[in-house]
Amino acid sequence: MTQAMNAAFVGHNDGAPYDVDRVRADFPILGETVYGKPLVYFDNGASAQKPRQVIDAMSNVFEHGYTNVHRGAHYLSQQLTDRYENVRGTVARFLNAPSPEQIVFTRNATEAINLVAASYGRSHLHAGDEIVVSVMEHHANIVPWQLLGEEKGTVLKVAPLDADGALDMEAFAALLGPKTKLVAITHCSNVLGSVTPAAEIARLAHDKGIPVLFDCSQAAVHMPVDVQAIDADFYVFTGHKLYGPNAIGVLYGKAELLAAMPPYQGGGDMIARVSFEKTTYQEPPYRFEAGTPPIVETIGLGVAIDYVQTLGMGAIAAHEKELRRYATERLAELGGIRLYGTAPEKAAILSFVQDGIHPMDTAMWLDRAGVAVRVGQHCAEPLMDRLGIDGAVRASLGLYNTKAEIDIMIDALRTARAKFT
Amino acid sequence: MNPEKLKKYNEFADALDMLDEESRFEYIIDIGKAQDDTPFPAEAMTDANLMHGCMSKVWILHDVEGDRHYFRGESDAIIVKGLVSMMTQSFSGLTREELAELDLDYVRRLNLGSLTMQRQVGMMAMLKHMQKLSRSEASAGARQRG
Repeated sequence: MTQAMNAAFVGHNDGAPYDVDRVRADFPILGETVYGKPLVYFDNGASAQKPRQVIDAMSNVFEHGYTNVHRGAHYLSQQLTDRYENVRGTVARFLNAPSPEQIVFTRNATEAINLVAASYGRSHLHAGDEIVVSVMEHHANIVPWQLLGEEKGTVLKVAPLDADGALDMEAFAALLGPKTKLVAITHCSNVLGSVTPAAEIARLAHDKGIPVLFDCSQAAVHMPVDVQAIDADFYVFTGHKLYGPNAIGVLYGKAELLAAMPPYQGGGDMIARVSFEKTTYQEPPYRFEAGTPPIVETIGLGVAIDYVQTLGMGAIAAHEKELRRYATERLAELGGIRLYGTAPEKAAILSFVQDGIHPMDTAMWLDRAGVAVRVGQHCAEPLMDRLGIDGAVRASLGLYNTKAEIDIMIDALRTARAKFT
Repeated sequence: MNPEKLKKYNEFADALDMLDEESRFEYIIDIGKAQDDTPFPAEAMTDANLMHGCMSKVWILHDVEGDRHYFRGESDAIIVKGLVSMMTQSFSGLTREELAELDLDYVRRLNLGSLTMQRQVGMMAMLKHMQKLSRSEASAGARQRG
């Protein structure tokens, strides 16, 4: 373990106003060109780019401090285990969780939801029990519940949206009945950007004794989050959308819920004692972490969280809100754009279709202009069906994006119209 | 394979070869926008003729004349229509055995780095779909041209 590895995180915590140019300098990939044009990266909703701090910290572990964790009696293992376990504290502070023991490391948000479905779902839910989701869920928050339904006979109930793409709270509340045993809902739609009123959702559910899981893959990236203020029972997010590495995600759970849940996968690290007659399991969170974890990725996630927290989630949200306002205004000026998702509470995620142009053509044209967007159904096929479209172009903005980049996209959309219509 | 049989293919490949990267992209769009000699019938845009696994819809229609296979392609996206048109025009008029000889190298010449790898995978899928159509039992009973 070197000094460099333990060096204090160098960030921007100097009280200065949000300086996007300085932020951009931290992301090496933003200096790349594609087709000879500067890269404009608007596919942050799929996966965000990584700051130098994350890349360096991870290389540093590989070069100077790599080994397995939780095992060896040797120096490297002790050092790295400490560093790995410290990330639980970093995540707990990020979410304002009461304790690091309530932070379970997973591969991603998908695995976190599958963990809850397989462990909590199988042990606590029965035939005829209802799980309430919304129509704007990512497939990751639909399919695990369907798998559970096939096995246990649980039933999925789907809360609708209003015309703006916000969750229809009246309809949602009406779905909560005596058979409802779980609410599993997004905190921010990956297609519409709509932010759901998480605390209000939890209050309504808790009034009826129903626990709530929030899929926060997008929310954790775009706004300050406080699991205690929301009173979330389960809260999941993924590292790679939060400017961290992939293959590391997080499940936060209330202590009493996690304690009552059986193991999810079996293997090393999750056991207390193993014999052929009777094996006993560790306490949470270790009970849910079988096998060698993604060690370096976890450390990368810790650095990514330090990074966004040094910038300040409030400052990031303010920066993105101004980008969203600007992009929405410019798209409206341009005309011929159908924007999906105009909820008042909305993250900087803009899904749209150009009149008379297939989204695929728009996206490929933008690509040629150096603008990376996503196109298609965004892993939310039921939502697309509900909107009555095959797909849409999605520009999902992040902490390093600029108004100048939005201008580049708008110019390319204008020339696309000339080319394709 | 006899170059005469791939006349149309070679025309496309030679044209692409002479263009710079930016112009190649425009060229494919122009093919997508151009009216085919044999337009794709609207009534054939059915699920049965739909190729699955694409981000845009791709339909491929298959006809047989003697031992020769003919294809027409359609897409709801213009760029993809350009790609599928190049593929169907390039490889129409071949026998099942000749179609089977075509591989990724043939597709690469129509791509030439002007499009992403993902598109190349998509074009390869089109070729495989056409090869499959020519092999299928149904091809014996496929619509005879005429």
